[in-house]
Amino acid sequence: MKRAILAALGLATSFAMPAAAEDIKVGLLLPFSGVYASLGNEIETGFNLGLQQFGSETGVTFEIAREDTEVKPPVALGKAKKLILQDQVDVMVGIVSSGVLGAVRDMVHGAGVPLIVANAGNDEATGASCSPFITRMSFSNGQINRPMGTWMAEQGVRRVFTLAPDYAAGRQMIDAFTETFTAAGGEIVGQEFTPFQKTQDFGPYLAQAKASGADAVYVFYAGGEAISFVKQYDSFGLNADLPLYGSGFLTSPLYVNAQGEAAEGVITALHYAPTIDSEANAAFVAAFTEETGRAPSEFAVQGYDAARALIEATKTGANDRASLATALRQVSFEGPRGQLSIDPATNNIIQPVYVYETVAGEGGLTQKVLAQLPAEADPTNGCEMAPLSN
Amino acid sequence: MFRHNTLRYTALVLLAAGALFQAFTAEYFGLEILTEILILAMLVLALDIVAGFGGMVSLCHGALMGVGAYAYAILSTKAGIAPPVAMAGSIALTGAAAWVIGAIGSRSHGIYFIMATLAFGQMAYSYVFEAPIFGGDDGLGGISRLDLSVIGVDLNDSRSFALFCLAILGAVYGASVLILRSGLGRSLTGVMHNEQRMRALGLTVWRVKADVFGLSGMIAGLAGALAAQHIMYISPGLLSWTVSGEALVVVILGGLGTLVGPLIGAAAFVVLKHELSSVTTYWHLVVGAILIAVVMSRANGIFGWIESRWGGVFDRRLADATRKQEPEEALNDA
Amino acid sequence: MAHDLGFWTLQALNALQLSMLLFLLSIGLTVIFGLMHFVNLAHGSLYALGAYFAASLAAVGGYWMGFFLAPVAVAGVGILLYSGLIKRMRKSGPMAQVLVTFGLIFVLLDLTRIFWGDLALAIDVPTLLGGRLTFLGVEYPTYRLFIIVLGLAIFGALAFVLSRTQIGAMIRAGVDNDAMAACLGINVERLFFIVFCVGCALAGLAGAVAAPLLSVTPDMGLQILIPTLIVIVIGGLGSLKGAIAGSLIYGFVQTFGAVLAPQLASVLIYALLAAVLVIKPEGLFPAKG
Repeated sequence: MKRAILAALGLATSFAMPAAAEDIKVGLLLPFSGVYASLGNEIETGFNLGLQQFGSETGVTFEIAREDTEVKPPVALGKAKKLILQDQVDVMVGIVSSGVLGAVRDMVHGAGVPLIVANAGNDEATGASCSPFITRMSFSNGQINRPMGTWMAEQGVRRVFTLAPDYAAGRQMIDAFTETFTAAGGEIVGQEFTPFQKTQDFGPYLAQAKASGADAVYVFYAGGEAISFVKQYDSFGLNADLPLYGSGFLTSPLYVNAQGEAAEGVITALHYAPTIDSEANAAFVAAFTEETGRAPSEFAVQGYDAARALIEATKTGANDRASLATALRQVSFEGPRGQLSIDPATNNIIQPVYVYETVAGEGGLTQKVLAQLPAEADPTNGCEMAPLSN
Repeated sequence: MFRHNTLRYTALVLLAAGALFQAFTAEYFGLEILTEILILAMLVLALDIVAGFGGMVSLCHGALMGVGAYAYAILSTKAGIAPPVAMAGSIALTGAAAWVIGAIGSRSHGIYFIMATLAFGQMAYSYVFEAPIFGGDDGLGGISRLDLSVIGVDLNDSRSFALFCLAILGAVYGASVLILRSGLGRSLTGVMHNEQRMRALGLTVWRVKADVFGLSGMIAGLAGALAAQHIMYISPGLLSWTVSGEALVVVILGGLGTLVGPLIGAAAFVVLKHELSSVTTYWHLVVGAILIAVVMSRANGIFGWIESRWGGVFDRRLADATRKQEPEEALNDA
Repeated sequence: MAHDLGFWTLQALNALQLSMLLFLLSIGLTVIFGLMHFVNLAHGSLYALGAYFAASLAAVGGYWMGFFLAPVAVAGVGILLYSGLIKRMRKSGPMAQVLVTFGLIFVLLDLTRIFWGDLALAIDVPTLLGGRLTFLGVEYPTYRLFIIVLGLAIFGALAFVLSRTQIGAMIRAGVDNDAMAACLGINVERLFFIVFCVGCALAGLAGAVAAPLLSVTPDMGLQILIPTLIVIVIGGLGSLKGAIAGSLIYGFVQTFGAVLAPQLASVLIYALLAAVLVIKPEGLFPAKG
């Protein structure tokens, strides 16, 4: 609770403007226990790295209060209330699961505290239940999968079988893919949703995929499910006849090495891959590798860019809840992922999507970027938000 | 049968005074914790009635609370029923579900009963987790609290809501005592001690068990409806069997079959959880170790220990041997 | 859905494979219960420990080292638990035992997180068991066939030990009436100890076998616990026959439920369990009549 740390580099701030240094209180709301604990840690590492790298650009110092959501919406809501009402934070950063985001949404909106979403991708958060106080620096479920439908159809894939866990994110990812894939002339020959977090053996579903007569399989799985799925897909020998595609969480750098050879040749789409060829990314990868000894994942870059967005906002002079919320909606910068900006209509991030293949490289598996698909704003999905007024 | 004694009265007065003091002086987060304790206290009272006085160790009370919470949420948000009616409906529905579970489980004993209740709880959890109407893994939001503005109380204020829960807990405690002192409650304790004998006396054993389980379920449903109003957001995790397990932990920690003990257990558990989780993300480790230590110590929880140690000083009549044995027997024969 | 025979054979093999994995877990749990009237909720945590030990050992000395040593290591943990906790809980009622092992779940869960971290681990299938075999006209992963064969072998071995050997007779006597068995000069305490260790070793073996198939995560023990409990309650606590029957029922209902009625798949098994409890509250093949 009281483990607040002064994150910005003391040296740089005192050098920039010693007297006027302002203090901004940041509430970091992430899972540090429960199934998403590894994601929470990854995002926090990225966030702290972002503050270190860019902290010297602003005269503001950041005080961080860190709370564990345990991936339980009621717990997370209690912690969010504590951060807002008791700790009086100026801005909140974090949130991994969409359920937790749904739980805290009304609280955040009602209290007028800006929230930088560093993972949770449910479409409604920047759709029907969008808020001028919620700015998403990560991704939306539809955003990642929509370009992939068109791209795969262009590559000549005609008939696809889809699989995903049976919950909101799984359905949104697959729906977005289905929409553009069928629009581009593709056909979905079968679709299954597996019980979320309860399926460990994908054998029954893989047999269905095999029998469906598809040219390819498109899936969304993440974490432990992704590891099991990719390994079992390979063990049934499906790779040979049915190439595996998916949203990039399937072969995230965070756990791709646990999948081993089974992941080779899997083609996925995501908003980040550690092998993106740019100066900003090279600097980020170098800094992250020095800190942790491994390549950063998309979760790390989300934390890193969330910190960067916060710093960019404070550079405009924003220093309280209202001004930070307005400033966050207008941030735009060139990050490891490429050129990023916030869509004023929904507050969702606009970013390029990368198609990459997982291939064997020196020292383990690596990502070969096949295509960079242009950045597109999400449809507003029923988001009605007061336009920026200044 | 359940009897009060000086020690129990003293503990109750102290607990009530502590809760009132907290309710009027605490700042925001203190009130949240207080409300969490009060709602958990209702759940563990419900569990203590069946486990401590009926030997029916249930691993589905968390799920019953979840049923109450979801019923309230669905009735008040999706079906558009007025909150007081929705609350009554959710209590009735949970009670009915519990009655059925109690009736089906009445033939099972000991570990079989524990497993049967676990199965029913998990069934409810799986259903809620997967049915789209319940919002799946993401849960349901937009739940409103009761509107008591007619009597000038705004429950959206944390302090008012905490006091409201405290009043309800008082009523639930009173109701629990009445249930246990009624003919039904006495029959239940008779069944726990010797089912054969009660059957020979002409008692319809399964009805007694089902009725008490149903009443206990109503209390759990009430706790659920209040939990939904407190958080104003619910998710399937509420129904998970580990919540039921935690409720059992609280009952044991406080003192099985004492009613007062579980109240102390609820306060101790919630405070411990919050203090530990602010220090380490591995707080489960510490809670698990404490639980093992308490059960291994063979004391009947915190309150059982206090009673055996100081009970006599407060109340000579407590030396009554039968009552001293009661909790221990419950632990062994359950 | 029109599927050919090969499809159904494949699904039957999937069901059998799941059943055998559950059998390895449930047999230890159920015999411990039959003999000691003791339900170890931490059995799933021992399975997770088995998987973690196997992952660590495999990283050092390859898959087979993990396969053979992980059960031994888990049995070692079992010895510690037995002498530290369980021996003293022998006389307590089921609730006290359930609670101690419930506490143990959390302790073991956080200990695995402290030692191995939150990131999922994985082991590769050994080269000997990699690839696929053609079996009954379908191509099936060799490693999954290995699990089926291993499960059947363990079942055969246990059936032989229980019905044909002296220790088996002693265990049966203990399950039937431990006080009487003690009167006949059987060292019941030692018997308990041996059975408990074997049960733990089998849980560890199940973990080691499951690790290359699934991913090794801290919560895998909690995830497998409920299916295991369902298996032994359906089958009847304490009996070998019940464990194998329960495992097969669970495996087939789960697999074919997922194919034929995906919306109902997860509720189906609980409904079946409830039905069994209504008709036969003590399970299908209870150890005692």
